[in-house]
Amino acid sequence: MSQAEDATEMDEKQWEPSILTFCCNWCSYAGADGAGTARMQYPPNARVIRVMCTGRINPLFIVKAFLSGADMVMVLGCHFGDCHYLKGNYTCDMRMTYLKAYLQAIGINPERLYWDQISASEGIKFTETMHKVVSKADALGPIANELGAHAKGARQKESTHGTLACDLHENDVKLHGSTQAITADIF
Amino acid sequence: MYYGRATDKLVQEQGECGGVITAVLIAAVEQKLVDGALVIKRGESIYDGAPYFATTKEEITEAAGSLHCAPTLSAKLIKNDFNGARDLRIAVTCKPCDARAIIELSKRNQIDLDNVYMIGVNCGGTMLPERAREMIRQFFEIDPDDVVKEEIDKGKLIIITKDGQHKELSIDDLEAEGYGRRTNCQRCEYNIPRMADLACGNWGVIGEDAGKATFVEVRTEKGQKLLDTAIAAGAITLKDAPPQGIALREKLDGIMVKMARKAMATQFAQFDGEHKFERLFAQFDKCDGCRACIDVCPICSCVECFTKQEFVVPKDTVPPDAMFHLTRLMHVSPSCVNCGQCENVCPMKIPLATITHMVQSSVQGTLGYVPGQSMADAIPLSKIAEVPA
Repeated sequence: MSQAEDATEMDEKQWEPSILTFCCNWCSYAGADGAGTARMQYPPNARVIRVMCTGRINPLFIVKAFLSGADMVMVLGCHFGDCHYLKGNYTCDMRMTYLKAYLQAIGINPERLYWDQISASEGIKFTETMHKVVSKADALGPIANELGAHAKGARQKESTHGTLACDLHENDVKLHGSTQAITADIF
Repeated sequence: MYYGRATDKLVQEQGECGGVITAVLIAAVEQKLVDGALVIKRGESIYDGAPYFATTKEEITEAAGSLHCAPTLSAKLIKNDFNGARDLRIAVTCKPCDARAIIELSKRNQIDLDNVYMIGVNCGGTMLPERAREMIRQFFEIDPDDVVKEEIDKGKLIIITKDGQHKELSIDDLEAEGYGRRTNCQRCEYNIPRMADLACGNWGVIGEDAGKATFVEVRTEKGQKLLDTAIAAGAITLKDAPPQGIALREKLDGIMVKMARKAMATQFAQFDGEHKFERLFAQFDKCDGCRACIDVCPICSCVECFTKQEFVVPKDTVPPDAMFHLTRLMHVSPSCVNCGQCENVCPMKIPLATITHMVQSSVQGTLGYVPGQSMADAIPLSKIAEVPA
């Protein structure tokens, strides 16, 4: 108990929110690319995982991300009607609605999950969203405050099979090239 | 809605309040409407209620009468031991949670509902056998083995001993001491099995019929078929229930629902407020990973369990990784029928049913889904509400 508290206190001094972002290959990932090519500035707290469709995201990936130390999780998908696979983003929307209620029920602030729609041409919206979400994460504080002893690091229990990010990688979902090393380190 | 009585004297005596259920089961088996009846049969004592597949008149008559210390669930039995009723027709006596679990399993294509005739019985709650024995010794000051009959009526637990002694105590008082009904039964809002084919019971039977007739409500076409078969065989007589009787039944149901909501509020309060996650895991971390909760759960029916995927739940750790419980909760809670089996079988006595029911009741509004009510409601998250043009 006291150990966990010490760890939290220490973390809070130099704490920076870490945010896991799931981007749809066809829209928001291209949007992030657009923001990059246009040299728009946004905070470096987010690690991006590219998925082929937001409909591929199992809500449990997000729960696992929180348990692995993500302070916020962003899911960015296509606008309704724009899905490359016709209805993947409707499926995602339905799951995120449930997941928010579920997170509330198990005692994780549902505000920590952010679900939005960003198209391939919306680099500016991507940058603005990043700013918005990082300041929100700052306000929410470390996830360890809510998870207690189950926050990553508080309980030393390493998976023998790697972590979420690596597993997604194994499952042929490629990580954002330049941030790959950082992602593997954090999650 | 009718008042019914069995015509057979023996059935009337052996059965509870008129013996309609026993008579209907016998008629259904004898007229070949079903191949057998899945009933709860008394063992050595009233604490030994066990499921029994009866195929003859004698066997069904033997199992007549109600038992309150039989916290069983027939749904998973039908799925596992009767191949989901795919190749035989079964009549089954159901508590509301049995009926709801059967409906949930049918939605998951685990039970063929066309072959299952659900005869629902009003249920005010069941008790764990060993707790009931303890309670009778401690509060009634009677040897539990002397009890020949128990009944839950009007908020009282009534027991009758070998020498004809009647004793009663308020259930509220017993539950305040931690005895009485199972905690999931205390929270149960479904006391009349309206989702079954026939909803039977003694609630709402008034006047000269009180205690001698069974209140029967036909809920589905299959229910009507059961009754018609029994009437054609001359096994039961029916008469219309008086409006006062129907009103009384509704009123009793209302009282039970109110009590259930109160119990929910008090039982869920232990997890409410600050540090909810930590308080939940103070319980979950007692887990020894035996997976019994998954085995008995009528919602868990996947062949390949997601919790066995190593990238979700890392293997070989005790207590199991937090993802084990969070996965189970996420998959089960939208459809939890609050049958309490998980809590009963848990060797570490984690209040699993309480937690799952708590999550269920808090996501219910978002999903707009009440589990086990009708085959017409799609399983949550299985259909997109808004279909793209």
